[in-house]
Amino acid sequence: MSSLITSTALVIPIITLILGFIIGYLAQRSGFCSIGGLRDLFMFKHTRLFFGYLALIAGSFLGYFIFWAIVPTAFPNFYWLANQTDPLTPIPGAPGGLTTLSYVVLAIIGGFGMGIIGVLLGGCPLRQIVMSAEGNVKSLFFVAGTIVGAIIFHTTIMQLVQLIMP
Amino acid sequence: MEKENQNKSFLRIIRIPAFLGITIGILAALVQALLINAGGPEAYGFCVACHTRDLTNAVVNAFTGASLGIAPFSATTPVLTIVGVLIGGYIAANRKKEFRLKMGSILSYALYFFGGIAVINFALLVGACPYRLALRFGYGDLIALIGILSIAGGVAVGSILLLFYMKRRDM
Repeated sequence: MSSLITSTALVIPIITLILGFIIGYLAQRSGFCSIGGLRDLFMFKHTRLFFGYLALIAGSFLGYFIFWAIVPTAFPNFYWLANQTDPLTPIPGAPGGLTTLSYVVLAIIGGFGMGIIGVLLGGCPLRQIVMSAEGNVKSLFFVAGTIVGAIIFHTTIMQLVQLIMP
Repeated sequence: MEKENQNKSFLRIIRIPAFLGITIGILAALVQALLINAGGPEAYGFCVACHTRDLTNAVVNAFTGASLGIAPFSATTPVLTIVGVLIGGYIAANRKKEFRLKMGSILSYALYFFGGIAVINFALLVGACPYRLALRFGYGDLIALIGILSIAGGVAVGSILLLFYMKRRDM
């Protein structure tokens, strides 16, 4: 693996801060929300936000394709499933050492849980952060919950998953 | 005059969600092209859940000496994506005079707090929030597609619950 910047430690906070700033600014202007897009589609047949999410999928493929063509060394596993004997293997970085079936089950449980709670609370994690930046105190408590939840996941849930999932 | 028109059309385009969708995709790929040397994982340029986790655990580890899990990408220096989103959202809202303090009841605060705990735990089970799922699917990961379809299923069930609740309230 080799990227354009070789000594990364100092620039990571700066680059991610700029990235977050751009996304946060545009998300506030456009009301972007992944779960909200699906909700508007199902409940009101509105497609505005849903097309935003579709554009994200298309844009990520396009972006990876363009930069893979320029700097192939930075994208060693693009296009991942084309090089796998089992097309359901997740890309490296998922909780390690589980069987394919476990990853499928975890994806279904995790996705379904995010979807149902997200729609009942009015937005996906990004939308909640943007809403708390707009002054919504309820969303601020949601963000505080994600911070506490991250610690809970790594102190208990993760071990539990590795204990019970094959 | 022409410049003014250009400015106006640009202002209109940043209000279109699809424009932000494509922007996130391309920026995430650019971040990976710049920073994959930090150690990956791949398709990790932008993720609300994972970057929140990385920042939180980095801070906790630094102050308590614990060793909670962090992606190699942010093991040496923390990622500040979430801070950036907060600042960007606040500046955008403030500039357009859309910043308004909205309070809720103690019960709603508790509900949102536990909702946040649940959502990030579900997200970390898949290893991705809805945004990184899209990035991973664009990168060629079929598990991510299963995750996206499951989100759609969860939203469908949640929408039915919401419609049911709205109907009952109207009666």
